[in-house]
Amino acid sequence: MAVQTVHKSKDSGASDQRQVAPRDWRYQLRKTLRRPQFWFGFTLLLPTLIWYWVFSYRPIIQAFRLSAVHYQILNPTASKFVGLDNFSTIFEHPLFWISVQNTLTWAVLSFLSTIPISMGIAVCLANIRRGRNLYQGLIFLPVVVSLVAVLLMFRMLMDSEVGQFNQILRGLNLPESKWLASTTSALPTAVGIGVWKSLGFYVVILTAGLLGIPQELYDAALVDGANEWQRFWRISLPLIGHTLVLVTVLLAIGALQEFTLPYILTGGGPGNATYLYNLLIYSEAFTDLRFGTATAAALLQFFFILIISVLQLKLLRPTWSY
Amino acid sequence: MNIDTKEATQAVRYRTDRWPRRVNLGQTVLHLILLALTLVTTVPFVWMIFASFKNFKELVSTTALLPKVWTLANYEGIFSRVNFIAAFGNSVIAATTVTVATLFTSAVLGYIFAKYHFWGKEQLFLLLLVTMMVPFAVVLVPLYITIGDIGLINHLGGIIVTGLWSTFGVFFMRQFMESIPSELIDAARIDGASEWRIFLGIVVPISTAPLAALAVFVFLGNWDSFLWPLVVLNSPEKQTLPLVLAGLRNLFWTRYEIWAAGSILTVAPVMLIYSFASKYFIQGIAMTGLKA
Repeated sequence: MAVQTVHKSKDSGASDQRQVAPRDWRYQLRKTLRRPQFWFGFTLLLPTLIWYWVFSYRPIIQAFRLSAVHYQILNPTASKFVGLDNFSTIFEHPLFWISVQNTLTWAVLSFLSTIPISMGIAVCLANIRRGRNLYQGLIFLPVVVSLVAVLLMFRMLMDSEVGQFNQILRGLNLPESKWLASTTSALPTAVGIGVWKSLGFYVVILTAGLLGIPQELYDAALVDGANEWQRFWRISLPLIGHTLVLVTVLLAIGALQEFTLPYILTGGGPGNATYLYNLLIYSEAFTDLRFGTATAAALLQFFFILIISVLQLKLLRPTWSY
Repeated sequence: MNIDTKEATQAVRYRTDRWPRRVNLGQTVLHLILLALTLVTTVPFVWMIFASFKNFKELVSTTALLPKVWTLANYEGIFSRVNFIAAFGNSVIAATTVTVATLFTSAVLGYIFAKYHFWGKEQLFLLLLVTMMVPFAVVLVPLYITIGDIGLINHLGGIIVTGLWSTFGVFFMRQFMESIPSELIDAARIDGASEWRIFLGIVVPISTAPLAALAVFVFLGNWDSFLWPLVVLNSPEKQTLPLVLAGLRNLFWTRYEIWAAGSILTVAPVMLIYSFASKYFIQGIAMTGLKA
């Protein structure tokens, strides 16, 4: 070891040279290996990284490889490289454009209904004096409950002959609707059910945001003579800007990836009215067993979602803060 | 200028000042709106509970809420045709295992990323975070192939092993643990506590609130998970509850009263827990939103 020692003289004065251990990497390594924190972190990070590699990173890399080959399930190593052919196959799939259109319509409809309604309810909740917890608890109920159970419930209620909705309308002599059975009303109805299910979630987030605004700001505005609308538009809305952006991004990402709802509620809808993009991916992968094209379709969706999220964050980032 | 708020409020006259003081129009309107929404949210469930006790003829003929003839035949139908108990058990095993594992890994990793300092820490964290951005559909097929290679297809382990770590959980716990004063941990170290002792004895007890919120979040997410179990679990006795419930559509075609019974069976446990713990559920979600 290159430790430089000096004779230790009896009279150790200030001019004596001390033992100096060089700060080279071996020394640092041994020092680190001695620290208990190192071992704690190491023994926990190692399985973590292994898990992430096997179940996260490797699948992502595999996805890129899968999308570029014609995958043979029975003999994977014989899969032929086809480059971008899978992508063009997907574009030419008869249901591709229908599913894209349906998915985008779904996203827009659910966005346009969820944001105003949940914002309005959040304002109500933030301004009432008593019973807030009770209301929140009941409004949040659909979020907690199993989606599949809820979907069965609504299929039952919205059956066009025997369902309760139409029975009530019949009883009130109002025109009935075909709800999930008609190609024009199926998508909006399904969106409505989705909104019903997730409304409480967004209401809770927005209410929490609203309640975080200090009361003094409202008092100051009141003193300056602001009415309710101005107080909302000039104070509440800007100050929950970052919460609203979060809600927007969550909504968009969620709506673009709907699978369970259309699969169970309508199986794609009367005709293809509720055939969403993820149904296409699923059927390509597990009904037609074409893994290559299915993954290509999924990658397309990934890029789209990425672009949308980046756009949203760039365009909507609020400039106010307090 | 120090204006007393009450005086200032009184300086502004409202139309409603002319009304008798007990009528608080603003509050009443708000309560009416909220009441309406609450009805919309809860009436379907109330309807379903009673529908599960009706027979088919009664269900489709009247809109009356309460059944004229109470029957348990629907529940009998479910238990006889479908192995509901097995599915329930599968769901419970999967959800609790995943929740416990995720809580542990998220807490530990959150602690490491919040309180430890090492070379490459932020880069590593970013690497982990990136995986959250990839939608599940992208890794659906590769994961299926991987699980197949491991041999866990049609096995409960197939849906458990993919849920052991949660990037969201790590992110969430790290956010919280950054607010734990480092002095506590340093003091414990000086007193000679081992790292595990520090973690289990100081960090975890402080973090019970976010841990509980995370537990609720992960449990519900796994309990209601549909796509991945649909792909992995093929045989009926291995399936989880949502799969079995969805199968009722085909097994009991338009026998809505049986659907109602199945739905209530699935929903009842969660609703029961929710009725006691709703505050914690909601606080957890609110915490998520505020931290993000």
